[in-house]
Amino acid sequence: MSDSNKIEGRSSRIECRSVLILVVAVLALGFSSAAAAPDIQVALNVSKASPRAVEPLTERSILRDYKFAWVNLSQALASSSTDPLNGLFEGSARQWLSDAVTSERSSGLTTRYMNQSHSLEVVFYAPEGDVMELHDIAQFDLEILDGDKSVHTEHAVARYVVLMTPGADHWVIRQLQSVPEF
Amino acid sequence: MLSLINTACRVRKCPGMRILLACSIFLPAAYAQEARLIVPSSVIAGNSTSIATSGSGSATFYLVGPATAVKREVELGQSIVLKPSDVRTAGRYEGIVCTSSCSSAQFYVAPSKAVSLTFLVHPSRVATGQADAISGVAIPFDEFHNMVLAATSVEFQLTSKGVSPVTPHAQSLGGILWFRGSSSKAAGAVEISASLQGTTTKRIVQQVAAEPCNLRIKGQRNAKGVLVETDPIHDCLGNPVPDGTVVTFTAKSGDEVSTVDAPVKQDIARAQLAATKATVISAASGVVMGNELRVGAQE
Repeated sequence: MSDSNKIEGRSSRIECRSVLILVVAVLALGFSSAAAAPDIQVALNVSKASPRAVEPLTERSILRDYKFAWVNLSQALASSSTDPLNGLFEGSARQWLSDAVTSERSSGLTTRYMNQSHSLEVVFYAPEGDVMELHDIAQFDLEILDGDKSVHTEHAVARYVVLMTPGADHWVIRQLQSVPEF
Repeated sequence: MLSLINTACRVRKCPGMRILLACSIFLPAAYAQEARLIVPSSVIAGNSTSIATSGSGSATFYLVGPATAVKREVELGQSIVLKPSDVRTAGRYEGIVCTSSCSSAQFYVAPSKAVSLTFLVHPSRVATGQADAISGVAIPFDEFHNMVLAATSVEFQLTSKGVSPVTPHAQSLGGILWFRGSSSKAAGAVEISASLQGTTTKRIVQQVAAEPCNLRIKGQRNAKGVLVETDPIHDCLGNPVPDGTVVTFTAKSGDEVSTVDAPVKQDIARAQLAATKATVISAASGVVMGNELRVGAQE
């Protein structure tokens, strides 16, 4: 093989290797960012709220705070830590989730909620605006692991009855109770 | 095992037969160990229950619920007993059993009977004679703090002094019961109660006089000017307005206008106005205007 052909061959190998390294780097970034921020979609319907109508600002707050609550819930169960639960869960909801995290930690289990979508509907808004009941039809990919071994995976559809109350600057979840039907 | 099959059946020249015989030995053994869970059709929170299993041998059982994550070794073919503490929280539970592979089943735990109420009443102070001014919300829970969504009978009652108790009409939405009630005509405390199966939760709302009504003033000249005072101030239902209610006295004398704010004390507001000339004095409190008082010049 001539010297020029050798040089061309080496150049193309270097190019291929560079492209491959770039692709791997992009994929790695994609996976790491996906792991850090769960993808959660939330839609809220306030048309049936009664006896009080939901104000536009309240609607935005509920949407924002409910989504963040599920982000925190997912992180808490995936990391077996109660730290992410601070602030957006109070009362029974916080106690149950803390118990779940504690139980998982002692059993060596972890639960992952992925690809979540929540269809929220306000069914009750108190006359003085101090408590709200919502119904959530949630879809997510659920995985339960025993250490590194996956023991259960499913695409689940779950129905939740949610009680939320206003805090100082955000709404908190006080009850998150799954039911077979509304 | 395959070498034994080869020797016994002389199947070196027939690999298909070897595979068939291997499957006929291994598959039944594998199928015999396959585990299944048979979950109960209904579970009430806090009640012990059991999950039947099929198969044979040892397996690992997992129970994952809203507040629970349990892992234990079990024997297939025997029932797995769940303690009351395992199913205390209402919601969706995942039962999983694993041998070489895993199988799962889901079931729901329902709340037990309602034994307590979260009872919210607003406002803490309300003017008398206001329609639908008082609202109450009651949420029933069982002993494990599960919200009871089934129809629950809760009786509300408004009781104030000198008035027959009033039972407002309660409505139910999504398991929550709520009502609206009117404040009575008499000022004072009204007790609002919510009763659930013999257990009563009470709240107090203070009813206060509404806006002053029929404001009347009278005045008298003295050395310092004019001393003005009101008749006892009541709302339109006859309730004396609370001490501290502000009455504004205005004195107009030609182009000069002066005002004095005076608080009500024991139903009456008083003010000393420095008016030496002929003066027209009026009073107002909230949105209510009183009569005008014309006082001649000081001699």
